Amino acid sequence: MEPMGCLAPSELSVKDLPWQIHWSKDKCTLCGHCTAVCPVRAIELGVHRKRALTVPLNLGEKPGNLFSVFHGIDQRTDPAHACVGCGMCTLVCPNGAIIPVHTDEIDKLRFHVNVNGEARRRGGRRNSSDSLLDKIKFVRISMLTDPALDAGRHEFELRTLLGRVLPPEEMLRVSRENGWMPPVREIYPLIIGGMSFGALSPSMWEGLQLGVSYLNEEMNMPVRISTGEGGCPPRLLKSRFLQYVILQIASGYFGWDEIIHNLPLMKEDPCAIEIKYGQGAKPGDGGLLMWYKVNKLIAAIRGVPQGINLPSPPTHQTKYSIEEAVAKMIQSMSMAWGFRVPVYPKISATSTAMAVLNNLTRNPYAAGLAIDGEDGGTGAAYHVSMNSMGHPIASNLRDAYLTLVKIGKQNELPLLAGGGFGKNGNLAANAAALIMLGASGVQTGKYIMQAAAGCLGSESDRCNICNIGLCPKGITSQDPRLDRRLDPEKVAQRLVDVFLSFDTELKKIVAPLGRSTSLPIGMSDALGIADADAAKRLNINYVL
Amino acid sequence: MKKREAIKITGGENSVRVDSRILEERIQKAVADGYRHIEVTAQGQHGIGGRLWRAHHDKVKIDVLGTSGQRLGAMGFPNTVVEAFGPASDDVGWLNAGAQIIVHGNATNGAANAMAQGKVYIDGDVGARAMTMTKHNPRFEPPELWVFGKAGDSFAEFMAGGIAVVCGAGAEKDKNVLGYRPCVGMVGGKIFFRGEQEYCSAQDVQLVKNLPDEEWGWLQENLKIFLQAIGKKYLFEQLAARRADWQLLLARKPFEKPVREVRPLTIYRKEVWENELGKGGLIGDLTSLDRTPIGLITTGTLRRYVPSWENGKYLPPCQANCPTGIPVQKRWELIRNGKMQEAVNLALEYTPFPATVCGYLCPNLCMQNCTRHLMNMESVDVALLGKASLHAEAPAPLPPTGRKIAVIGGGAAGLSVAWQLRLRGHEVAIVENRKRLGGKITEAIPASRIPSEVVAHEIARIAKSIRHINLNAALHKEKFRKLKNENDFIVIAAGASQPRQLNVPGMEKAFTALDFLRQSKQGCAKVGEKVVIIGAGNVGCDAASEAYRLGAKSVILVDVQKPASFGAERKQAEAAGARFLWPRFTKAITARGVELTSGEILLADTVIVAVGDMPDLSFLPEEIATERGFVLVDENYATSDPQVYAIGDAVRPGLLTDAIGAGRIASRTIDDILKGASRTYDKLPPIDYHKVKLEYFDPRIGEFADTSSCAANCASCGACRDCGMCEEICPQKAISRQPQPAGGFTYVADSERCIGCGFCVGACPTGVWELAENEPLE
Repeated sequence: MEPMGCLAPSELSVKDLPWQIHWSKDKCTLCGHCTAVCPVRAIELGVHRKRALTVPLNLGEKPGNLFSVFHGIDQRTDPAHACVGCGMCTLVCPNGAIIPVHTDEIDKLRFHVNVNGEARRRGGRRNSSDSLLDKIKFVRISMLTDPALDAGRHEFELRTLLGRVLPPEEMLRVSRENGWMPPVREIYPLIIGGMSFGALSPSMWEGLQLGVSYLNEEMNMPVRISTGEGGCPPRLLKSRFLQYVILQIASGYFGWDEIIHNLPLMKEDPCAIEIKYGQGAKPGDGGLLMWYKVNKLIAAIRGVPQGINLPSPPTHQTKYSIEEAVAKMIQSMSMAWGFRVPVYPKISATSTAMAVLNNLTRNPYAAGLAIDGEDGGTGAAYHVSMNSMGHPIASNLRDAYLTLVKIGKQNELPLLAGGGFGKNGNLAANAAALIMLGASGVQTGKYIMQAAAGCLGSESDRCNICNIGLCPKGITSQDPRLDRRLDPEKVAQRLVDVFLSFDTELKKIVAPLGRSTSLPIGMSDALGIADADAAKRLNINYVL
Repeated sequence: MKKREAIKITGGENSVRVDSRILEERIQKAVADGYRHIEVTAQGQHGIGGRLWRAHHDKVKIDVLGTSGQRLGAMGFPNTVVEAFGPASDDVGWLNAGAQIIVHGNATNGAANAMAQGKVYIDGDVGARAMTMTKHNPRFEPPELWVFGKAGDSFAEFMAGGIAVVCGAGAEKDKNVLGYRPCVGMVGGKIFFRGEQEYCSAQDVQLVKNLPDEEWGWLQENLKIFLQAIGKKYLFEQLAARRADWQLLLARKPFEKPVREVRPLTIYRKEVWENELGKGGLIGDLTSLDRTPIGLITTGTLRRYVPSWENGKYLPPCQANCPTGIPVQKRWELIRNGKMQEAVNLALEYTPFPATVCGYLCPNLCMQNCTRHLMNMESVDVALLGKASLHAEAPAPLPPTGRKIAVIGGGAAGLSVAWQLRLRGHEVAIVENRKRLGGKITEAIPASRIPSEVVAHEIARIAKSIRHINLNAALHKEKFRKLKNENDFIVIAAGASQPRQLNVPGMEKAFTALDFLRQSKQGCAKVGEKVVIIGAGNVGCDAASEAYRLGAKSVILVDVQKPASFGAERKQAEAAGARFLWPRFTKAITARGVELTSGEILLADTVIVAVGDMPDLSFLPEEIATERGFVLVDENYATSDPQVYAIGDAVRPGLLTDAIGAGRIASRTIDDILKGASRTYDKLPPIDYHKVKLEYFDPRIGEFADTSSCAANCASCGACRDCGMCEEICPQKAISRQPQPAGGFTYVADSERCIGCGFCVGACPTGVWELAENEPLE
């Protein structure tokens, strides 16, 4: 038998873990809430024996032993049950008796999470709070040089165009000849990026859709949301709300036969079709919806049997070159809606993005290009893919925009940028920086999860268990016991709050530039950074 | 200073425009010189008529002819009246601090901007951003702007006080007499206007359509003054003809700001969302599950985890590790419950040697594997319980079945299988080639290890229940066949009675350990002073102890590897003074002693070889398979002949408890076949040690005084102690003890109260509570 204290290489103490549970015996009432709510069962009731010596003064009599037993909250140390730092215990503790605290050094758990040779997989983000976008300032304050505007008082048209915009002479010709005019949508520049039904819980997904439709219909903000890859509930397909939705198609094509069946029943065209080739957070890594997330509901929406693994491969199976891949997909998807819906590809930011862009400029049906940078979040990926794969968005977007400028098409093919903007909470500033670097619109997912649903993730490897269906906030869980913790209506309300305040902040940034009628897309003379190399690379002002 | 007549100051000299700075100097000088009526012929100079404090309390009148410049009357004082006989440029009355400014014509942008006191009368229209950023300082009367015509865009932006009156003359058909987006950011003051105004910032102002009497009265009174000032008194009746033509805009106070009128999300969801999509929203058609929000702490089917009381689902480590399979923990429990006799009796259902083996001769694998070792605590002492079982009462055998089984060998294995088969009602015959029962227990184990009366008592207890015991019965192939024909089954338990020999010269000079121990036991063994024992296993140790007892002065045990001996045998030999040498390889046994391959010679008067024993299977028919001299058996101890079983050292060398356990398994297999039952004996898995909580026990006990102290300190691994800890620790009071109709009890957790916290699991001393994930909902 294994005696106490026997060492295995992966035997860890609480000290070795990334998160340590601080528990106060004085304050604890042993109510059981913390252990009931902990998503990974990192804590449990423990039994402890206390020993004290009773020593009579003057040593007149023999000393004696006094034993007592108390119960308390213990932290488990095996990797499968290591605390993830979500802090749900703190949330439910009536007495403030328990809190996870991050270790002050590099944890030892990371060297042992690969038991049985399984490399770590997780959800979340890169866990790096470093952000170039946060360092960009808006240095052009047009007090006297342009009509100065007041963000709070003046009227703004914060809208962008999604779709191929023909040059004027071409537009006139097409119009004269009654030719085909590429579809263009006028939308709000902050787009909710693709998060699938399945990766997100039903409550979260519905909450976002509800919020988007409310923003459109009650707030007059033409906000759009991408479905992510995982299909779309038939009811939404058949409703007028479809016009607020960008349908995403990706390498797994999940749910697309259901979408096709619903084509004849659609009242409205969708806003656009997004063809996902890559995800910034995990370029080159595919998606995998684990079997335990594929319950009856998910199975119905994705058009698959229940309880099976659903892999979205890293690549589309039948596409072998840019020319073929992009042209083939854009043609097919345009055809499905009679060439009335803008169709654009979404790629991970990559050093090869210019090749894709050049190809798109020559494709009359391409409605734009979405580039997703490395700082985005994901529901599930290999740790190494998330941390070490990918390209920052700023320089990739900038290169793309300047490429368009070089060939004179910067006003024709919109670029959408995403991937980690707002990661430290500066959503509007980061978005404005991307827009001024050349993005026509920006796509965010992670910020929305945090702000609209209270995602507990941080850039310090907190929680990050989106991949195992145990999201303690019910954001990424298909288990109704967790999903129902989230109220779709409150998610929608928070989404509305986010967009209204974003709108104010974006105005606060663009108003001093003197812009009120159009977004300052590519207005890089307004940008400055106190980093000479970054300034040179991005072709923006170097300011100190 | 003496007051003077009016003075004329011109803005041009010799056809050259006088600089604003010079004109200002001249006006100020004129006032300082006592002039109180100044006529300025302006050529667009800046700021005419302001800042004339040098007149002190005297009234000063400035008439502006020609073209007034920007900021006419700017920073004007209350003593000043400025009258422009023509239109005014931008910012007339800028930052006015009390002057009355009359403009006989239009005023361009910014009229009265930042005005704080005084009055600005415009006989015409005003441009954009008039009356913006005006204030009312409570020390003074509010400022007033009067406009005969209409106002330009962005009127009254950020207006923070004062009164504006826009008469709208000539603009009766305009839709917006106050221009585009007036009153944005207006926080104070009021605006009277005559005519239409479609848009104004409702966020900032409220519109009063029917002027209250007080306001109407003030307006009428002051309208006369305004009209008088601009020389249009005759229009009073016309402008004031219909009270209903006039409206009033009042700045909202912060708490009066209207909350933006939007449909609440809840209503939107119900009236719009579900109306378009259908009941249940996006997925109402795809699921029938309740989707209403729930809290974090849930009960019933919404719990994430469910506890269950799994009493006896796992074997305690003691029982799991006992080759005989004695439920050790169960016996301690009986003692805790005051049933000492039942506890000792229970042993006889498993072994006929509870005292001999458990109490003395067994290394007690049960206790070696006791959970208590996990925290370096002494295991409870089962030998005490074994010794106490000497007077256990045998259970009554089942009724006779008439089935017959012959057991070859009356050692531990043979007696175990015979005992078990007898208890099951079968007729057993033991065939033993020696003159007494007991095998090695009686033949070879030194008397120092066990009192002979204990062995005698237990063998007598067995012998009493078995009718046919044939001692001194030599066996050979023919007799074996005969036995086979006469019995339903044969169990070979012949032991290993042939000592293995060493293939070295001089082997004939040595004793074998088995022969030595047998003779020693019979009192006829002799040893010299120096003894060398080849083979340092437990049998070698026994031989060493016996050699010392018989008078040896030094005993050396040699082995080719690290000695495998352990437990009581080793301890006894070491205590007697035996030395162990290894690795040592014997080359020969000579008259001087043992010669090793290294050339060393270990001097010895007596050499004992203890390298194991082999079974004597000369009686075995060829058709029964053997392997390396042992009988080949399956997991139930059946040989290649289904009618023949083999157990004990004839199958493989082992402990007494291994032999006794093999007897149990063979017996129950045979019993099942004879009774036509096909029971399966799935061994329960042993409990995970870590489920058991040792913190409830005193860690400082070094030696147990008696069986009741042992019973109290047994952790009862995997078996409920009925202590009630779970009932008490449960924060929800969900757990209760429920007596069973057939006796006994269970503990159950009420799902409607339980929150799945797992406290029962954490607190349970014996580890019988388990927490499992709740069933998936869909």
